[in-house]
Amino acid sequence: MGTREQDVLRRVGEASVLVLISLADGPKHGYALIQDVRQFAGVELGPGTLYGALDRLERLGLIEPLPVDERRHPYRITAPGAAALQVHLDSLERVSAAGRLRLQLGGT
Amino acid sequence: MSARDARIGRLTAAALRCYPARWRRRHGDEAAELAALLIADGIPAASIVWSYLVGAAREWLAPRPGRSLSTVTAALLAAMCLLGIPAALVAESAPARAAGTTQSQSGAIPPAVKPAPPGAAAGLRHQFTPCRPVLSRHVSVALPAAGRWPLSIEGTAHARSC
Repeated sequence: MGTREQDVLRRVGEASVLVLISLADGPKHGYALIQDVRQFAGVELGPGTLYGALDRLERLGLIEPLPVDERRHPYRITAPGAAALQVHLDSLERVSAAGRLRLQLGGT
Repeated sequence: MSARDARIGRLTAAALRCYPARWRRRHGDEAAELAALLIADGIPAASIVWSYLVGAAREWLAPRPGRSLSTVTAALLAAMCLLGIPAALVAESAPARAAGTTQSQSGAIPPAVKPAPPGAAAGLRHQFTPCRPVLSRHVSVALPAAGRWPLSIEGTAHARSC
């Protein structure tokens, strides 16, 4: 099986990848996720986009909800989620390296 | 609570009511609280309400196990009706229909299209209609050209339907 087939995050969208990256260092709830993504990626996740991404990732088994803390639902990354994120980041790294190399070769 | 806050709260609540009941049971309270926190952070209320509306549309339209295609279709139709798409489509298609598909019978040089050979057409009713399934045939069309009239284009037309 090739890397592209293993990379389940290739089709889930940027918001889902950002949410997964944010959860990689520990569980967070919605508001903390939005703040964290804003800080490390400079992306303002809309709340509707956030909940869509959370539901998608949970359906894929890449994250799981933790017991409700007051009204907030914290989520944490699962082992398959961490593995999928690793594969996706490796893939992005290869693409990024190829792009940088071609920019150098092109002399621009 | 100011009148503005109350209005924003009502707008957010209205946007959250657009979600399926299952979603509201699970995320509704947290989503309302999240909206209030984001507005307190200085995020425009309109963008939050819009984000929830788009999210609700996605939630209804996303295929899920147990949700039949008819439910998704009905939700799509309802959304189209709400957005006034039918009116826009009618308004846009009317001039196109008027200009595009009717050939004038009184024009000076009508396009010359040879009829399909007898028996080649799918049915007698459509035998002389140029835009219907027929076998390959030779077509000669006269078109206006700049400064010259007519310009003849000849070629082979294949079976196509409009």
